[in-house]
Amino acid sequence: MTLQQTSTPALGRPAKRRDNKRLWQEMAMIAPAFLLMAIFLITPFLLSFWTAMTNQPLVPRPTPVRFVGLLNFERVFTDPLFWTSLWNVTRFTVWVLPLQCGLAFLTALLLHQKLPIQNLLRGLFFLPAITSMVVVCVIWGTLFQYPSGPLNQIVGFLSGGTIQPIDWLGDPNWAMFSIVLLSAWQAYGFQMIIYLAGLQGIPEELYDAARIDGASALRRFWHVTMPGLRPTHVFVLVITTIQAFKLYTQVAILTQGGPNESTETVVHYMVRAGFEEQKLGYASAVSVILFVIVLLIALLQRKLLRRFDV
Amino acid sequence: MGNRLLSTIFASAALVATAGFAEAKTVIHVMHQGDPGWVKAYGDVAARFEAANPDVDIEMIYAPHDAYNEKFSAAVMAKQLPDIMELDAPFLANYVWSGYLQAVKPLIDKDLLDDMTDSNIAQGTYPIDKDLYAIGLTDSSVVLYGNKKYLEAIGARIPKSVDDAWTREEFEGYLEKLSKLEGVKWPIDTFRGYGIKTEWITYAYGPLLESAGCDLIDRKTWKASGTLDGEACVKALTMMQDWVKKGWVVPTSSGTNQFYAEGQPAALAMGGHWFYAEASAAMKDNVVVMPLPKIGDKGVSPNGTWIWGISATSENPEIAGKFLSFLLKDKDYREYAKTQSAYPGLKSFAAASPLYAEGGPLAIAFEQASKTAIARPPHPAYPTITSAFMQAVDKIFNGGDAQEALTAAAKKIDEDIEDNAGYPPFDEQQ
Repeated sequence: MTLQQTSTPALGRPAKRRDNKRLWQEMAMIAPAFLLMAIFLITPFLLSFWTAMTNQPLVPRPTPVRFVGLLNFERVFTDPLFWTSLWNVTRFTVWVLPLQCGLAFLTALLLHQKLPIQNLLRGLFFLPAITSMVVVCVIWGTLFQYPSGPLNQIVGFLSGGTIQPIDWLGDPNWAMFSIVLLSAWQAYGFQMIIYLAGLQGIPEELYDAARIDGASALRRFWHVTMPGLRPTHVFVLVITTIQAFKLYTQVAILTQGGPNESTETVVHYMVRAGFEEQKLGYASAVSVILFVIVLLIALLQRKLLRRFDV
Repeated sequence: MGNRLLSTIFASAALVATAGFAEAKTVIHVMHQGDPGWVKAYGDVAARFEAANPDVDIEMIYAPHDAYNEKFSAAVMAKQLPDIMELDAPFLANYVWSGYLQAVKPLIDKDLLDDMTDSNIAQGTYPIDKDLYAIGLTDSSVVLYGNKKYLEAIGARIPKSVDDAWTREEFEGYLEKLSKLEGVKWPIDTFRGYGIKTEWITYAYGPLLESAGCDLIDRKTWKASGTLDGEACVKALTMMQDWVKKGWVVPTSSGTNQFYAEGQPAALAMGGHWFYAEASAAMKDNVVVMPLPKIGDKGVSPNGTWIWGISATSENPEIAGKFLSFLLKDKDYREYAKTQSAYPGLKSFAAASPLYAEGGPLAIAFEQASKTAIARPPHPAYPTITSAFMQAVDKIFNGGDAQEALTAAAKKIDEDIEDNAGYPPFDEQQ
């Protein structure tokens, strides 16, 4: 105690100079990253904010581009389809989050065991995640076919023919759920890998100590594994939510936002406005709004999870 | 080290030199869409043209059908417009208004221009200056296909010409009867399987609505509100919604072949002329071709297809025109088009197409074009018009409220026109 107290003031001045020097070094090291971020993230964002306040068309037109103030935002907010699409991605997120993260967590637990063909299994489970989403969509599109696609045949067989064929992608009540199924299956490998890394990060000594204390496997899971994975859970939840809000590819390929707007998402809505209807200003307004929404959600999630001492 | 640097410079210099040598040929970029068969046909014509004109290099750029207009916009943004582009006729007004296309009359062989049918001239003409901006071998139409066996089973009257097309009462009556007939799962296939975001919706369903007195937009004032969301349109779309509700229409997710698939689950099909090739190959004489039904007082059918234009920025418009003339006269291209039951847009091609001649199985489609065809609104706002309409149709077919969906669509269209200051000089066309 005394030793520390005497040594601190003695080291005080040179330490400060060193801190200063370190600060410069650190700044120099993040400078390239910051420069790239400024060019590829910050500038485009500011530009899109500016574009959102004009009637800029996608391609140059004979009529002049005008500054229209907040007109585009007003139109977005008064378009019922925008609210539908926002509701749809929320629905998608709420469904896909437990499904995808749960699946990832369970497979990670399974693959963390010392199995003889562990690496092969890990590879197999990860396979969907490295398959292109476009390919996955085309394949699942065939599986979903109505009325005699493979999935309907399986359902019919398992239910002994009592369940009528389901129009997976053509029925407004089913379409979003079908997309949830396919998305969770395609992407859970990514979360699984993060969970695996998290599991491997928990020190083996903690388990040994628990074992010596006579903790059962279940108790070891609750009191060692789960607390050890807290930061992983937070990361996985936040990243999955953000990804879920950007839902686009599946919708673009399989349902184009239909049937009856049941799978229209914010990004799909934006692309439709920007590329099909060639209203770049309007699409920019949507992108700015989406950015703010995602930012708010991420902040909120962080705050909530902090409260639970994660 | 110096040596290595030197040799690198030499190598790149040599590369540039050979590249420059290759550039000595005039390169003509041709952007197009199409099924694999058409893509091959175009490629073969390009190869033959190159063989006949060794100083020209034809570079074919394929863009998928469903994303074609978006791809084209990207090319405009990147200032990489092709010399020749294939375009869907209803988008012509938008392209010409935006300044992408040049008038082609002086660039195309005169005998080809004289050979064009009236509807072909119409689809390539810009309504403001009445000049020709695009030319094609073909035009198009939609007819009603019927399964002869089923129609005979319910004792349906089979129309012999456009003038005695089914009325709405007859049509709905037959759908009702067919829905109860053994072996028929769906009375009609309207090709919802093409998807909910394709031009098919506006192209094929628009005429039924127009027949009922509706239209996508008022063609004089260029306003959609009051027309697209008017009573006639709401009634007509509610009628179509009703067909879907009753289970009469093949759903989107069942593909586009239910008319001739095993067991032939669909009894009727409202399909494009090109569908005849597939259906007749599978069903032989069991296919009947009929005119589209008259929903209201008059029959209406669509026209317009993918045609060829030359971009305003082309540096070699003469050569581009020469290639187009070569393409449209090419024998093998025409032969291939025939196997696809292509709808003739040139008189000489029509004469060589027994399908469409008097008494031919598709003669009715040809007759329809001259008697009942109405083009889609030739207005620069067309990309928004069709996109808004597609969205409304999807909503309505899946149980949404017709009035609400059409009001939203009309509002969207009018906003777009307003944003572009009325697309002058279209705002003066009253």
